[in-house]
Amino acid sequence: MEFLLENILNLVGFLVGLAIGIMSLVGFRNTGSPTLFRLTIAFLSISTGFFVVWAGYTVEDFIVKSGSLERWIQTVGIVIQTVGYFFIAFSHSIKSFFPKSRYFRSIGIMPLFLVSSVQIEHIFRSVSFILLAYGAIETILSYFENKNKGAISVATGLSLLALGEFLGWYSFVFPESLLYPISMAVRIGGLIALFIPVSKVPLTRIKFDKDIE
Amino acid sequence: MAEYRTHMKIIGDILYTTRDDLLDEEGATVTYLIRKANISHSRISRILKTLVSQGLLEQVESDGTNKYKISNSGREFLQAYKTFSSFADNFGLTI
Repeated sequence: MEFLLENILNLVGFLVGLAIGIMSLVGFRNTGSPTLFRLTIAFLSISTGFFVVWAGYTVEDFIVKSGSLERWIQTVGIVIQTVGYFFIAFSHSIKSFFPKSRYFRSIGIMPLFLVSSVQIEHIFRSVSFILLAYGAIETILSYFENKNKGAISVATGLSLLALGEFLGWYSFVFPESLLYPISMAVRIGGLIALFIPVSKVPLTRIKFDKDIE
Repeated sequence: MAEYRTHMKIIGDILYTTRDDLLDEEGATVTYLIRKANISHSRISRILKTLVSQGLLEQVESDGTNKYKISNSGREFLQAYKTFSSFADNFGLTI
């Protein structure tokens, strides 16, 4: 059950991220907008992160079968996804939240060299949660300004992804409970909610950049 | 409070004016565009120069003054701009 959900989650994440990433790339190539460039990096990173986990698990389960790779693959995939979530939050001007002191910047990297892959995974899960929650709040605030219904769906998607990350992180405390499968189901729901408004963008009317066709 | 406009939004406003809001068929004067786009002369001069060099606007000389008309590429750009503005709106962002 868990294996099936994990595969569905990673494949849906890969496909949704890729679709939104390509759409953003087409937009960037047609308009030159920096916002669309940041969205391209964000969603292609998210897509790559899900793909790394899916491909890694598949290789581990059917070819290598060593049993030791899974945790590292999961960690690498989550780190790449966190980069994507960072760029979504960054598009909402999160840069103002960074510490200006060089000292804080330097010690901020240190914990990565002192902890195991399990701890790194949980650090990045919590960072992802914060970035996703920030993105969801900013998106819902933009809805109150523009009344664009698509923003509600995107905010719901980001909220569900944040909740999924939180439950995934919390399942570390209760490893054999239902928390982890629930977190995966919630994240799948989040990815679908994220894709709904984007799927309605009428791309067929656009004359695509010749290099992309 | 005045609404913050991105560079892209200002370009969109200029192109919309040259497409939908022309007073005469020969094009819009710089003064008219300054009033419609609500930006300074020096800034709009730089933007117009870029838009003409990119082929989004056509510069026409009429009665000793430069007038600007939207080109076919400009119309295509506006269509893409409109579509991807709504795409970015879904994420609560402005392109």
